[in-house]
Amino acid sequence: MSTTSTNVTLRADTPFPTILVVEDEVLIRLVIADYLRDCGYKVHEAVSGEEAIAILQAPEVSIDVVFSDVEMPGSMDGFALARWVRANKPGLEVILTSGIERSADIAATLCEAGPLMKKPYSSQDVVDRLRQLAAKARRS
Amino acid sequence: MNAASVTVLPRRTPPSILVVETDVRIRCLVSDALRALDFKVLEASSADDALTVLEAMRIDLLFVALDLSGGRSALDVARLVRTRRMPTRIILASDGVLAKTVADDFGPVLRKPYETSQVVELVIRALNWPEVPGASRGTWPVEPR
Repeated sequence: MSTTSTNVTLRADTPFPTILVVEDEVLIRLVIADYLRDCGYKVHEAVSGEEAIAILQAPEVSIDVVFSDVEMPGSMDGFALARWVRANKPGLEVILTSGIERSADIAATLCEAGPLMKKPYSSQDVVDRLRQLAAKARRS
Repeated sequence: MNAASVTVLPRRTPPSILVVETDVRIRCLVSDALRALDFKVLEASSADDALTVLEAMRIDLLFVALDLSGGRSALDVARLVRTRRMPTRIILASDGVLAKTVADDFGPVLRKPYETSQVVELVIRALNWPEVPGASRGTWPVEPR
């Protein structure tokens, strides 16, 4: 697949974009992924930044939005993943979430998708943020 | 109660499947194929995560790769299911090294590399979902391919 076709941006004509949920806490990941699927989104799951990149580079998968925790084990945290996305998949939206207050300022410089979502978040807050992104895409 | 008084009602909620696989692309492909059949699919990348999920919710079928990375093994997960007598069917995926030794203990073993269609077929037969006309629960566990 060409680079152009893998750089999927949030399409205004797609009511339910495909979300990549990146979260190392398995029960948190299952809950939010399940909720998003129930809302109609197609969801892929990754447990680390490295897994997220593997999915983003997979030719058989198209992702519209990355929803990632900031604090993750391994060499790549959520910030590093957001930087990778910005460098390699420009136009792909990233929403970061963290339980650490000081992460907000860094996240603001990396995400066009609004401010950092504080943990704990409600599943509906995530859906609201995704809808805001879709509305923004329709306007632009 | 005689046999004539027993009515078997169709299952209303789709069975839940826990897919445990370290390789994210394989996990993603298998999970997607099963979700396409309306199974409720949960994903775990390690034995520890699988054990966490099994402690937290009912799982109807465990599909677990034997070559997991990390401290605890896939067999630890399968043993937990068996020792606690959980109502969970088990399908193992293996590169072949352990296949013969564990098949009788836990369930069928699918040899890697496998096609997702093979997983889907085994899962459908194990859970009888979507209901297969004429399928017999008595045939489980099936012979591994």
